[in-house]
Amino acid sequence: MPVTIPQTKYAGKVREVTIGATRAEGGTRSRTVTVGGETTLPFLLHEGEMPHPPAVAVEICDRRPADWSPLLYEAWGEAVNDPATWARAAEAAGADLVLLHLTGPVQRADGSTPTAQEARQAVRRVLEATGLPLLVFGPGIADLDNELLVAVAEEAAGERLVLGVCEDKNYRTLVAAALAHGHLVDGRTPMDVNLAKQLMILIRDMGLPLERVLMDPSTGALGYGIEYGYSVMERLRLAALNGDAMTQQPMLVTPGEEAWRLKEAKVGDGGVPAAWGDWAERAITWEVLTATTLLHAGADVVCLRHPASVAEVKAVIARLMAGGKDGK
Amino acid sequence: MPHVLFLPAQRSAEVSVGASLLEAAQACGVEIHIPCGGQGRCGRCAVVVQGGDGRLRRRSTIRLSPADIAAGYALACQSLVLGDLAVVVPPQEEIARHLVTAKHAVAVEPPAGYTVADQPLQAFFLALDPPSLADQTDDWSRLQRGLAGAYGVSGLTADMDLLRRLGEVLRSADWQVTAVVELDAWDRPAGPPRLVDLLPGRRTDALHAIAVDIGTTTVSLFLVDLMTGRVVARAADYNDQIRRGEDIISRIVYASRKAGNSQPAANSVNSANLVELQALVVGTINRLVEQACRRAGVEPKQVYKATVVGNPTMIHLFLGVPPEQIRLAPYIPALNQVPSLPGAAQALGLAIHPQATVDCLPGVASYVGADITAGVLSSGMHRSEALRLFIDIGTNGETVLGNADWLICCACSAGPAFEGAGVEHGTRAAAGAIEEVWINGDTGEPTYRTVGNLPPKGLCGSGLISLLAELFLAGLVDKRGRLNQGWPGLRDRPSLGPRVRRGDHGLEYVVAWAEETAIGRDIVLTEVDIDNLLRTKAAIFAGFTSLAEAVGVPLEAVEEVLIGGAFGQHINVEKAVEIGLLPDLGTGEGWSRFRFLGNTALNGAYLALVSRAMRQEVRNIANKMTYLELSADNRFYEQFMSAMFLPHTDARLFPSVASRNT
Amino acid sequence: MPLSGLDIYKLLPGGQKPPHPKANCKECGFPTCLAFAMKLAAKQAELSACKYVSPEAAARLSDAAAPPIRLITLSANGHKLEVGNETVLHRHEKTFYHPPGLFVRVNDGDGLERVRAVAEQVSRYVVDYVGMPLSLDGLAVAYTSGDPEQYAEAVAAVCKAGKKMLILMAQDVAALRAALAAAAGRTPLIYAATADNWQALAEVAKAARVPLAVRAPDGNLEALANLTAQIAAAGVEDLVLDPGARGFGDSLLALTAIRRLALKQNLRSLGYPVITFPGEGASNSCQEAALAGQHIAKYAGYIVLDHFTPATAYALLVLRTNIYTDPQKPIQVEPGLYPIHNPGPDAPLMVTTNFSITYFSVRNELESSGRPGWLLVADAEGMSVLTAWAAGKFDAERIAKAVKESSAASKVAHRRLIIPGHVAVLMGELEEELPGWTIHVGPREAVDLPGFLKAAW
Repeated sequence: MPVTIPQTKYAGKVREVTIGATRAEGGTRSRTVTVGGETTLPFLLHEGEMPHPPAVAVEICDRRPADWSPLLYEAWGEAVNDPATWARAAEAAGADLVLLHLTGPVQRADGSTPTAQEARQAVRRVLEATGLPLLVFGPGIADLDNELLVAVAEEAAGERLVLGVCEDKNYRTLVAAALAHGHLVDGRTPMDVNLAKQLMILIRDMGLPLERVLMDPSTGALGYGIEYGYSVMERLRLAALNGDAMTQQPMLVTPGEEAWRLKEAKVGDGGVPAAWGDWAERAITWEVLTATTLLHAGADVVCLRHPASVAEVKAVIARLMAGGKDGK
Repeated sequence: MPHVLFLPAQRSAEVSVGASLLEAAQACGVEIHIPCGGQGRCGRCAVVVQGGDGRLRRRSTIRLSPADIAAGYALACQSLVLGDLAVVVPPQEEIARHLVTAKHAVAVEPPAGYTVADQPLQAFFLALDPPSLADQTDDWSRLQRGLAGAYGVSGLTADMDLLRRLGEVLRSADWQVTAVVELDAWDRPAGPPRLVDLLPGRRTDALHAIAVDIGTTTVSLFLVDLMTGRVVARAADYNDQIRRGEDIISRIVYASRKAGNSQPAANSVNSANLVELQALVVGTINRLVEQACRRAGVEPKQVYKATVVGNPTMIHLFLGVPPEQIRLAPYIPALNQVPSLPGAAQALGLAIHPQATVDCLPGVASYVGADITAGVLSSGMHRSEALRLFIDIGTNGETVLGNADWLICCACSAGPAFEGAGVEHGTRAAAGAIEEVWINGDTGEPTYRTVGNLPPKGLCGSGLISLLAELFLAGLVDKRGRLNQGWPGLRDRPSLGPRVRRGDHGLEYVVAWAEETAIGRDIVLTEVDIDNLLRTKAAIFAGFTSLAEAVGVPLEAVEEVLIGGAFGQHINVEKAVEIGLLPDLGTGEGWSRFRFLGNTALNGAYLALVSRAMRQEVRNIANKMTYLELSADNRFYEQFMSAMFLPHTDARLFPSVASRNT
Repeated sequence: MPLSGLDIYKLLPGGQKPPHPKANCKECGFPTCLAFAMKLAAKQAELSACKYVSPEAAARLSDAAAPPIRLITLSANGHKLEVGNETVLHRHEKTFYHPPGLFVRVNDGDGLERVRAVAEQVSRYVVDYVGMPLSLDGLAVAYTSGDPEQYAEAVAAVCKAGKKMLILMAQDVAALRAALAAAAGRTPLIYAATADNWQALAEVAKAARVPLAVRAPDGNLEALANLTAQIAAAGVEDLVLDPGARGFGDSLLALTAIRRLALKQNLRSLGYPVITFPGEGASNSCQEAALAGQHIAKYAGYIVLDHFTPATAYALLVLRTNIYTDPQKPIQVEPGLYPIHNPGPDAPLMVTTNFSITYFSVRNELESSGRPGWLLVADAEGMSVLTAWAAGKFDAERIAKAVKESSAASKVAHRRLIIPGHVAVLMGELEEELPGWTIHVGPREAVDLPGFLKAAW
């Protein structure tokens, strides 16, 4: 009896979002990165399209972060001490995008409070060091985020940065800054389909075109809530494909931040059970598996921290994008 | 150039063709009130146009009924001048007309064909033969003989208190007495009849009873004269138990503890806290009894029966029954079908006649009680094939979906925001409560109406609904309910400041300045208030959508939406739909699918009080209703989160609502 | 099309017009016929509980008796591995029911020492995850030596190493028979029948009463379906599929197609669990782990790894547990003391419940405030603060227990505990349960925490 591979055709598709601007477009990037545009569930290329592969962003900081895992310092070496060097190292490691994370007092060895001036300088230096499109996230403290990111938005006007993180409490300031200077925003909500939609609506209501918004559903790492984010993402992506206009955004996830904050990544031999095995293997596997699992839920931008993870995740993406011809 | 004459002012203006009546009025200094700023939304600028239709074009008549239009009414801001016209501007009081979208509570009427002879409670006048040496029958037998002989009532019982007073009353009244008799009860349909009171002389002109709705937040009462079956007085007040817990769970927890000792008393009927809670609610009821009786000129002790409704926790606390198991899995109330309690008034501490029967109507499950079964009874939805949705907009947000074939219900803890509690300037729907607000879409300035047209004391439920809707439509709050301090058009008034400002609890909107209010302070709506309102409306919306989803029935199939609640005498359906509290069934004809029934719990209690058949019906309703436990699956939570948006995260559910936010 | 609660109700006594005498009789254990109907619709009750449903109605109501994906059971020493019986494409639609088995392959041709070493490693491996011990399911023994006796010895060695499941990867009948004898008492999976050898292998499987994997070349699902139909007709009904797809893209496509065909089109011939071999499609062990992870999320029933390391096993076992958690159950975090921003002994101590969303929202607020603090998560059975308190799961006793059982007392120098505003009523009682501690009532909403801490701490 004949068996045909079922093909589902969807009514909707994911919006395409372009990060970065070349000289011709008003920026200074050597290339732009576009994500989204899917017309089917992740990587089912026999029944739909994925015009753009998911992009890998590498997370760097404006100065050496005080609380990262020793494995990360080891992997990046001296580069962590200077954002420009670090950006170049990230690019060399295969990043499609650079995520510049501005440190707050807790991530700084001297506990100082970041200033708008410092933020501008850091962004300026990174923009000069690499031609990759840039995302800039604040330290995650509401008042500081607003202050620093508004300055960054102005400093980098025209570069089509992704400013983050935009939440329902503080979206007005960031969206206004994005509107004024031609940037994008990353809209983050805590693992809830409805909250994600609501934030998209609020941002759109302010007049920011949805082609300049990434949806960030917050996801926990493997073992620490990943399945919750995974299902939220699957639901959002299905809703998008079924025509719900307020969920048709490419999604950004941060496995780097989530996986590397865990004991699994930060603590080595002697401090963990023997069954946990080799520290480096475990930490990198943790980041990679978190990332690849979320790719299968529809992640379009994955933000990673370890250069080895970058290579592995990019390899997986390449094989998935080969469309069923990557086996035998 | 067309010429427009305004009466009674006798002023006229010449305007170009196509100018609005409002512009014409403004041109000659005639004042027409425009609360919504001329957006065609409030209907308050209605004027009467004399002259043929060809000279006037009504751009919108959405606020006017066909009868109004036939009589020449037009909205000044929406009507365009095409030729010469004479326009009568009615006085403002007349303009405070009922909108097509305003629904008023149905009046409370005795059931058709009511006659006191059908009542279980009767007042029998007896002119007894006095005793003599020839007739040495004892007082009690004499009374019984009289009753049997004159009225065919036999097998009479009485309690000790009456037996003790019997002789004195008979003799002091010279053997002409009125016997107040309870012939039967719902669970004792064959009697025996019980002598409730014996009064000297003929006292058959009135026979009083009360129907009581013990709400978690508001207690309401009807004083009924069973002779006519009519409600002769009403009273309502906040439940005194609130000071021991705003919500059901808090009160259950409080009741379960021994006073002064933190160890739980584990379901003890002697718990001092339980006793206290019982006394508090009875205190509230007694106060209402006294108020109503004073208004009607009746002695509280001549109230001979109380039919009581309330959610299960309220009934348990009222009766002094330990409620602890209601909140612990598997959620078991002590009582659902409560036996009728003759003479319980005294034991409960009620200020009515100590021998009065207390009849608590039945509940269905731990969180759906007599107030809802009574509500269903009063709505009549159980008697019709039409699919109806009954929503109680109260603290516990109970909802019933169904018809004569099946009924399903649920409860969700909505919160008391629509009853005015939990909102900074919330108040009950009494004199001085703001019950309607319009906001000018350009200036953000509000216009409001209060109950009794008195200086405002606060905002009642209807007022809160209308205020939130107006803020949203104007774009002063975003879809998440957050105020926008940067709203263009906000002015900084000298010595007053802007309408949107930062207060102690975040941003707030000033509805009325201190100089206008009756409380000497500004009346504001804060973001915390808005959040509470959002949660309350989201819970209610999620309740009925979960119910419909659970049974597999689409909301569009609902023919009528019945609304109950103690938050006011009217609800504006359009405003309630605008904030996403009620489903969008379309404008125009859609609005007619809503009916506001007022306090359905109290109405149902009243019906069960005055009619034996209704009392049996409510028992059947309770047996038949299926209760859906909403916390059992994620559906409710999903619907709730989806509804925490104005009007809803899924805009397709509310096609009629368009705000300045989009 | 599944029947709705109301549809089912109309077939029960309560939904009849005129009403059946037994309408709402409660004999089924539910208060009304409609309540029973809704439970039936949710598959939380059995129709047999109602004695009064008419035969016609009962016929209408009984669903397709067989599940769309057959349940396959392997066993060893009283332990079972059940795979299959899935009903959804996405876990959020309901849940995934049976986590895939994780196996490690050994070749008998590598020598008995090696086989023994790996078998012991795999059998002994156990790792704790939120209080649950997780371990691998078994070993797949591949016949590469060409010697049936050697194969049998290898299988015996694996059996001796522990009580794990077995997959016998051999197509030689003699080798299989020897191996089955060596594994007597267990129910292994035989891998695999092909178009060339299926009759012989089906006979072996039938005689031994064990499940049989079926393989078709290169992702040809039609060939696979035809093959399984033939084998099932021959009397072997417990089958496992190998669509032959070894890479990321093709295995995603094949497994998705099979799952869709089984569920949406009720294609019986592909209604079986799938076995995968991620090692064969991977360029290194990290890629193997990533591919195995894909198979866990996307529909595999048995996953055979070529490499075993504790680190990777730990990660895959955790992923499997996560993906196969029932989404209906409230997601919980492990109770305990969580430090935020490197708190010292003077940092504030706050307690909340172990409902994930509660925990994350409180944690996020604290983190975003930049203030160091200690977050004590009490076991409230995964309920939010209000729900747990209402149900008696977050009371003074439990909070006190959480404080005492955690290391809070040793981590903070002060004795001040902040409780959520919603449970302010517990303050007095809690002070009695925790003598020496002062209880502070915090805000009701997480969003107000930073402000509260700033003002009050």
